Amino acid sequence: MSRKYLLLVLSFGVLLAVPSVIHDTFFLRIITEAILWIGLAISWDVLAGYTGYLNFGHGAFFGIGAYTTALLMKLCGWPFFLALPAAGVAAGILALIAGIPTLRLKGAYFAIATWALSRAIQQVALVLDITGGPDGMRLPTFLHPEFFYYLMLGIVVAIFVLYWFLLEKAPFGLKVKAIREDDQSAMSLGLNPTWIKLQSFILSAVPTGILGAIYAYWITYIDPASVLGDLVTDQAVVMAVFGGLGTLIGPAIGAIIIFLFKTYFWAYLSDYQVLYLIILGAVIAASVVFLPNGLWGTITGYLQTRKKSTPEPVTQNKSDKGAQHV
Amino acid sequence: MSESLLQVNAVTKTFGGLHAVFQVSFNMAPGEIIGLIGPNGAGKTTLFNVISGFYAPNKGHIHFRGQDISGKPPYKLAKLGIGRTFQVVKPFAGLTVLENVIIASFARHPKRRQAEQHAWKILETTGLADRANAQASSLTLAGRKRLEVSKALALEPTLLLLDEVVAGLNPTEADRTIELILSLRSQGITILIVEHIMRVIMNISDRVVVLNFGQKIAEGIPRDVAKDPEVIQAYLGEAPQ
Amino acid sequence: MELMPQAIIDGLLIGGIYITIAIGFSLAYGVMHIIDFAVGEWIMLGAFLGYYFNLWTVMDPFILLPAIFLVFALVGYLIQPLVYRVISGKKGNPVLMGLVFTFGLALMFRGIALTGFGFYSHSIPSAISQDSFSLEMGDVFITIPYVRLAGLLYALAITLVLHFVLKKTNFGRAVRALSQHREASGLMGINAKRISSYVYGIYVGLSAMTGVIIGSIFTINAQMGGEYTILAFFIVVLAGMGYLAGVPWAAFLLGLVQSFFLIYLNPSYTLMAVFGILFTILLISPKGLFGRGV
Repeated sequence: MSRKYLLLVLSFGVLLAVPSVIHDTFFLRIITEAILWIGLAISWDVLAGYTGYLNFGHGAFFGIGAYTTALLMKLCGWPFFLALPAAGVAAGILALIAGIPTLRLKGAYFAIATWALSRAIQQVALVLDITGGPDGMRLPTFLHPEFFYYLMLGIVVAIFVLYWFLLEKAPFGLKVKAIREDDQSAMSLGLNPTWIKLQSFILSAVPTGILGAIYAYWITYIDPASVLGDLVTDQAVVMAVFGGLGTLIGPAIGAIIIFLFKTYFWAYLSDYQVLYLIILGAVIAASVVFLPNGLWGTITGYLQTRKKSTPEPVTQNKSDKGAQHV
Repeated sequence: MSESLLQVNAVTKTFGGLHAVFQVSFNMAPGEIIGLIGPNGAGKTTLFNVISGFYAPNKGHIHFRGQDISGKPPYKLAKLGIGRTFQVVKPFAGLTVLENVIIASFARHPKRRQAEQHAWKILETTGLADRANAQASSLTLAGRKRLEVSKALALEPTLLLLDEVVAGLNPTEADRTIELILSLRSQGITILIVEHIMRVIMNISDRVVVLNFGQKIAEGIPRDVAKDPEVIQAYLGEAPQ
Repeated sequence: MELMPQAIIDGLLIGGIYITIAIGFSLAYGVMHIIDFAVGEWIMLGAFLGYYFNLWTVMDPFILLPAIFLVFALVGYLIQPLVYRVISGKKGNPVLMGLVFTFGLALMFRGIALTGFGFYSHSIPSAISQDSFSLEMGDVFITIPYVRLAGLLYALAITLVLHFVLKKTNFGRAVRALSQHREASGLMGINAKRISSYVYGIYVGLSAMTGVIIGSIFTINAQMGGEYTILAFFIVVLAGMGYLAGVPWAAFLLGLVQSFFLIYLNPSYTLMAVFGILFTILLISPKGLFGRGV
């Protein structure tokens, strides 16, 4: 276990040092975006893998965060450091509105409702004047790639740590998993499934909104296609499913792999952009069939069975806390 | 008359016109073991579901420790001290045995460390401590039934509803479970138990309530109920000569 | 107010189309308990195949309908085992995985369509595409395009055929048994896998045919799938998931809502209105208008 932590801390250290070493802004932006996708993938997994509810409108929270930031900064003159949390709050409110009616129902309704909601929101943004319609909005320019790199890194690491604490260490994580495994049994043990799912949903949505805020200020220009389109959700889903649902490292790994693939693809095969969609869809479908636990889940599962084949003596060892998933 | 722990008062539960439970009334005194029997489809599990909050009664009331709990959701009742097992066991399959019981322990011990200590104690009581780190899905049926009881016990309930915890076990396992149930009673837990295995029910129950077609047809000490012609008819389909 | 009768007629005509979008979908859900996120994509693919068939054979799309049905029913039948494998898996949450799987399929189909057909819109010309007839009753003047009427008639025909098959044939009885009680029907010798294959094939075939009709009335493009998936969802939730008899009512209701928005209000807000109604239904009566959903 401590080896894993060491690895993570080391990676963080390496990532901190990156801007001092890499001065090419193009590469810096690529890494910044990779980090963004890690955040988007793990936030989707909080609700999908841990809680068992599929939010096929995940992109809507990203977009709401982006547009809230744009509106507050451009129309109300708010500074970024105030718009950022406001974006998170907006996403959280949306989660409450969407979640209260739908989370008490089965997962299928939730998937449909969130998917429809995100399309409806995109429609609204396309139609309203205040959001600039299809032309989108421009934000005040702030061209400092290092700033956004550190901000993105800091926020995503904070999100990762928060999730890790709440879902792997704190009672909340076990409660969420209990709801996912059998909500009737959970109810008979004192857990209120709808309330827990709602908390999970907000936990998933608020960081996504914040990431949208950072994205908006970083890229300086947003429009319904880029921040409210299907591609945000589609990619987050692929990354989490391919990486491994129900863990935090799984979606992170999935994010890195898929993002690198996408960057390579768009750089060298830009004529075949729509081919990318086919590959995304195929990866999702294939993962479900062949890799239901995702890449990371399959790796850890394989390592576990290898450990089991060297039999351990059966003891009443209370200090052995068993496998903890990261 | 001692203060009843549980008062079931003319409870009726219908599903689309069909009475699953019809005007059933009985009381439970603290520390009693009451057996709930009846042929298949008599409404026993439905009654369990009503008492434990999974269904709201269409008519009638349920009082627990003097408080009206009719229609309250299961998670509130769990906190009030009502625990139950499910006839078709519901383990949290993807989690370990220990984690299963820890989750149940959160009801009385919100912090992880205390919950875990409490869970260990429970597992030792029910004899699952050696399987604590095994996946719940890897347990045999006997193990899963014991896990089911462990989880309900971890709530530190005042009233425990046991739904067929002995059925499907071999005689050794069954005897162990009976011992466990009796030890729970000596700890002061009141128990309402549904079971098809007659010798179990008749041996451990203080009183027996008999349901047939959703209605109570008999109530009393096991010996008397066993001789009741209506009960015999319900089970065998004809009155003895 | 003089527009009201036209609005109503328009609504009913389009509602007919919506029936066919949703009825196969509801059937598939009832039998296999799968929400197919790719329903709109099947419609889109059917529409495009109809377009190309029409281009090559110069036959009227309405005549091509059976051919389209057969092709796609076969595709559905062949794909079904994969779907079945996903939703009956032991690992994890099979329902969840089923949703993710069809979501992936939908994405894949959209990509294939965009790759193969580009971003252009098409329509499928039919002999009856242009003409319409009119009714005049006093001040009221109603125009009914033939092609839309054909669409409605087709929808009603499909509904009747399906009703007949489900109520009167052995196959239909098996389907109904399977959707009501999976385990029990297995005990009675009903082969769930085989029936599910047929049902899925029928569902895909029906959806594809609907695409052809839509192509004759409206335009089609590679991205149209999403809109129809939402409509299918909406109708099925409103009708009650798995409750086939509710589908026509829900479909006509949606048709009327759409046509009213088109005529009296801003059509861009239709999606918002649909979503709003969907939400309200989920809040108040998640089992649908008739409370018979699963």
